[in-house]
Amino acid sequence: MAQQRRAPTPPITGKYCEDHMPDYKDVEHLKKFLSAHGQIVSRKRSGYCTQCQKALKLAIKRARHMALLPFVG
Amino acid sequence: MKTKTYETMVLLDNALVREDWKKAKAAVTDTLAKHGATVLTCRRFDEKKLAYPVKGRNRGTFVMCYFTLEKETMADIRRDWELSEKVLRSLILRVEEVPAKEHELAAAEDSADFVVPAPPPDDMVEEEPVAEAAPADEIMVPDLNDIDMPAKG
Repeated sequence: MAQQRRAPTPPITGKYCEDHMPDYKDVEHLKKFLSAHGQIVSRKRSGYCTQCQKALKLAIKRARHMALLPFVG
Repeated sequence: MKTKTYETMVLLDNALVREDWKKAKAAVTDTLAKHGATVLTCRRFDEKKLAYPVKGRNRGTFVMCYFTLEKETMADIRRDWELSEKVLRSLILRVEEVPAKEHELAAAEDSADFVVPAPPPDDMVEEEPVAEAAPADEIMVPDLNDIDMPAKG
């Protein structure tokens, strides 16, 4: 019996990204994309496209520098 | 050189804010003006507990400023803030334009009925009491003459 292939993840449209563009000042929004240990979640979990995931990474790192978000925990 | 617009967020010591808010704000705007920047808007962003202690402080006040700069004095501004004891952290970013909302928020702060809420008193990190070192016990040096050595052979 042939192994069933997992259905491909539907592509996230640009609309989602436009409505939820990450910004380092919006701490409550950024907190949703951190794990319990303070790690940045993967693209699969965040739902962002490639460019916006990079923007998310940058925003979180800026917020961490300003002590708005923790590095760990 | 073309004039560019910048956004900056500065983390200020709460002790300075408690003294006088205008003085605290001037610590940011004066440094910018000193290095040839034109301050467009400057406002109190927030006062909150920090995610981790910075220079021995648990809390701090964030100030958000937009300014234009023509000269290449950005490095001097950064260095001034790094050396300053009033400024705990700073972040300077290049932006295309000042958001429309910023002008409204800054204008609301400049109005006469704006009162800066006093920061809570728990901004200093509590230092753990250092345990006094116990006096070192005298080291017992055994007298070699008292030790009975097994006879050889």
